[in-house]
Amino acid sequence: MGRELDRDVAEARFRAVFAHLGAVTAYARRRGSTDPAGIAAETMTIAWRRLRDVPEDDPLPWLLATGRNLVWAEARRARRAGGDPADDAVTTPAPEFFELDPDLAAALMALSPSDREALLLVAWEDLTPAGAAAALGISGPTFRVRLLRARRRLRARLAEARPDDVPPAHFAVEGS
Amino acid sequence: MTDQAMSRLRAANPFPATATEDAALFERITAGPRNEGGRRRGRSTRLVIVLALLAAVLLASTAWAISNWIGGDVVKPPVTRAEYAQAQNELVLPPGYHWPTLNVDPNSVTTRGGGGGHAVVIAQNAWECFWVQAIHDGDRPAQQRAYGELRKLLAHNILVAPAGASDNWAPPNPPRGPYAVFADDGGFEWIRAGYAQAAAGHPARIEASCRANRPG
Repeated sequence: MGRELDRDVAEARFRAVFAHLGAVTAYARRRGSTDPAGIAAETMTIAWRRLRDVPEDDPLPWLLATGRNLVWAEARRARRAGGDPADDAVTTPAPEFFELDPDLAAALMALSPSDREALLLVAWEDLTPAGAAAALGISGPTFRVRLLRARRRLRARLAEARPDDVPPAHFAVEGS
Repeated sequence: MTDQAMSRLRAANPFPATATEDAALFERITAGPRNEGGRRRGRSTRLVIVLALLAAVLLASTAWAISNWIGGDVVKPPVTRAEYAQAQNELVLPPGYHWPTLNVDPNSVTTRGGGGGHAVVIAQNAWECFWVQAIHDGDRPAQQRAYGELRKLLAHNILVAPAGASDNWAPPNPPRGPYAVFADDGGFEWIRAGYAQAAAGHPARIEASCRANRPG
């Protein structure tokens, strides 16, 4: 009886985690996975097995961190299959940027993978800075510095692409 | 980033998340086993003990290496929490705001001063949001107070790391009060310019900063 109750409780808890299935699928797809539904299913399976490790209040950052590892593993397998000599390197797969406007895609690709991920976790995954920091396994203040830097660099890249996007010069002078 | 750039990036999301129902997958997953912990017995126990000892040795050496790598002055969570609590006595939050709980992984280490730095960015964000609200309410005294408090924070509680310093840079002679460290990438100047713009009636940057950096 007790075991059954435990299972009921676990299933009820997992249902709240499972509600993020769509978000994990979209995340995997945006990060270039060739099998986003499979990545999401595997992420959820891991979450079920390790339910005690999944934060109850906000499971999404944990799920995205797990999903990211799986996307990395998928990308490594693909490189090995293709005979890439850097098959075991830990790299960030290139996101799906082909549907973006060229200026924005170029600006995003010009960023470092860590800067890009910081921006996208906030802009596309809609995580708070605290949630994004948890997804990346870094402290909140470190993430804030990274995000600030990433925003500034993206803005600079966009301004290079479209000079009229630069803020009026007197604003910069006022603050310096 | 300006609001336009942020909106542009958000709007460019190629695959927005949608609510997905998959009852069959749910059933299949929950029919599988869970790791309950402490259930493995027998031969594997010895292997686990050996691996645990090996991990302990590695962790000890890694902790020593990390502490040297980041300057040899890292502290455990109780110290970080104490720093955060102490900073609350030295920093002021706007009316109606309160200090959020600081969650620190019990197995982590943080650069000394990290608790104070966290408090500084909490206070900074709170005053930015307070300022935004004051602008919307047309409350001039509150706007002036917010600007004054933020200028004080920039002057006394925020440091800029030297060019090329690592993310974990710590000042050789840290100030007595709580402080946060910003990278030398123009971000500090960008924030200061944003405050100047807000004071001149253009609050877009602090609105974006309030939204983006609000504690989750």
